[in-house]
Amino acid sequence: MNTIDTILQMKDLTIDIKIDEGTLNVVRGVQLDIKRNETLGLVGESGCGKSLTSKSILGINNKKCNSKGEILFQLNPEKSVDMLKLNPNGKAIKKIRGKEISMIFQEPLVAFSPLYTIGNQINECTRLHVTKDKVKSKALSIEMMEKVGIANASKRYDQYPHEFSGGMLQRAMIAMSLVSGPKLLIADEPTTALDVTIQAQILDLMNNLKKEMGMSILFITHDLGTVAKMCDRVAVMYLGKIVELAPVRSLYKTPLHPYTNGLLGSVHRIGTSREKRLYSIEGTVPLALNLPKGCGFYDRCPKKIKGICNQKQPELREKSEGHFVACFACEHEEAKHE
Amino acid sequence: MLKYTIKRIFLFIPTVLIISFVIFFIIQLPEGDFVSSYVARMQAEGEVFTAQDVADLRTQYGIDQPWLVQYFNWMEKIITKGDFGYSFAYARPVWSVIMDRLVLTIIVSLTILIFTYLVSIPIGLYSALHQYSVGDYFFTALGFLGMATPNFLLAIILMYVSFKWTGDPLLGLFSTEMLQEGVHLYNFGEFLQRMIIPTIVIGTAGTAGIIRTVRGQMLDEQTKQYTLTARAKGLPEYVIVYKYCLRAVLNPVASGLAKALSNIFSGSTISAIVMNLSIQGPVLYAALKSQDMYLAGTILLVQAVLVVIGTLLSDLALAWLDPRIRFDRKG
Repeated sequence: MNTIDTILQMKDLTIDIKIDEGTLNVVRGVQLDIKRNETLGLVGESGCGKSLTSKSILGINNKKCNSKGEILFQLNPEKSVDMLKLNPNGKAIKKIRGKEISMIFQEPLVAFSPLYTIGNQINECTRLHVTKDKVKSKALSIEMMEKVGIANASKRYDQYPHEFSGGMLQRAMIAMSLVSGPKLLIADEPTTALDVTIQAQILDLMNNLKKEMGMSILFITHDLGTVAKMCDRVAVMYLGKIVELAPVRSLYKTPLHPYTNGLLGSVHRIGTSREKRLYSIEGTVPLALNLPKGCGFYDRCPKKIKGICNQKQPELREKSEGHFVACFACEHEEAKHE
Repeated sequence: MLKYTIKRIFLFIPTVLIISFVIFFIIQLPEGDFVSSYVARMQAEGEVFTAQDVADLRTQYGIDQPWLVQYFNWMEKIITKGDFGYSFAYARPVWSVIMDRLVLTIIVSLTILIFTYLVSIPIGLYSALHQYSVGDYFFTALGFLGMATPNFLLAIILMYVSFKWTGDPLLGLFSTEMLQEGVHLYNFGEFLQRMIIPTIVIGTAGTAGIIRTVRGQMLDEQTKQYTLTARAKGLPEYVIVYKYCLRAVLNPVASGLAKALSNIFSGSTISAIVMNLSIQGPVLYAALKSQDMYLAGTILLVQAVLVVIGTLLSDLALAWLDPRIRFDRKG
């Protein structure tokens, strides 16, 4: 693979959190790359480490989190930087945050400070990363607000977050994160807190802007419906590990990992009879403390093979083109077919 | 905003009237009156009073009437003539007794107020930004000590220390010479020197409280989502702290303004007595003890008015700090 086509590459990323009871291994060896102009979905249940993974790219995790491994960001065709090596309070990382890599968050209602106008907070980003010229930057900020579909932008520029609706705030958030023309946008469940019609609008908006501005998106969600609409490739994360990575069509058509199967089975489809119960994965996610040496999904897995799955960690293997899975049972089945 | 302010000022009048009524009612509640406590004191010193003498005294002071009549007479004079009545103990109009100490009280209290904010806000911020550092623990321990130690005890300790070191306990705000010659530029330095102990003593309790508030609030703000957003967009840490967090942190400090303003007037009573400060607090204390009702009533009334004004000011400050509290904006 040509590295220029890859904008971000995570190599063996691990994140530990030290707590009184011991060390939580929240992220355990994530390998992931995001290509130019690609939307990569990162899917998983709450607490599987997807948010921490994304925040570690920008180095904005809590001080208690200890990240190891490499996150290589292709700053320009000649140069890539390891984001984990940069001082989280240093100048170098601040030139990347918000300029090269932007992030939007789950809850737009609390993501803005209530004390300053929306315009002030967007313009802050413009002045920091685009132009110091007061008049130009204000014009640019308002233009960006119009672009994300905020009607009457020059008036709304002077309004406070509590005068905006959730959907409008998320639009403003997108305006703020895109005003500097970033190469990568990290969207951490950007539509979870919004109602369904607004969700669709925001997703359309993100797709259009992505095409227009030419950037990559790391799209974090637990909603598989959104993934189908947004993503080119999907990585499924379970207990701090990528268990399956595939092009979006391939994943929906032939999900390999039992966990992915479970996730897809728990999505309600119109047309299925009412009596048919939604599939639910049994059990709960184990706490990432003193993890078993086998597969993290072992206890909940319908296909588990005793003696193999609880003894070793499965590695990601390519099954068909671009479709990777980490599962012993899948390999076993394959062997039977042959 | 203006409309709101005007509305608040109009509400001010009934509020103060009700407070004045309650104050007067409570002051006259205890058994006896100024005359009976005065007579008791005199009798203890061997004076002889007949029942007629006592009744005459009562008529003279105008306290032979029912308390409601007394109250309305008092209020009428305040409203029509600005006359707050007569202090029995000082044998002077109440207002002149208050004015005696007003300037000094304001100087002392304002100094303490400024000292409190100047010391506590930076320390609180430092403690929050360096949580669990040696400095944080040091100031936290000091703050708790300050909060737990009664002011008068601290006053006595500091006066003792000062006496041991300099041979002068720095009692009171003026030296004997200053009392004779008055305060001039050449001895102003000494006056300032004498302010040190009262400022530290009365200031520490409030300081400790505000340090805790500021520290807690700052730590809270640091974990909020908007701080993360600000960090993610590449803002330098000092902008996050001073532009975003600090403004939110000042919110509870501004709420405390109401109380601070009335404290300026009354001063700290017990500490003032211990340190022999000629400020308003001890006067109120003595007036309540001797049932000098108009003096006590007036001091309490002025305090109440200051609380009401302070509340208005702190509400305005809050509205300035936080746009969500602004009233006449259409959303």
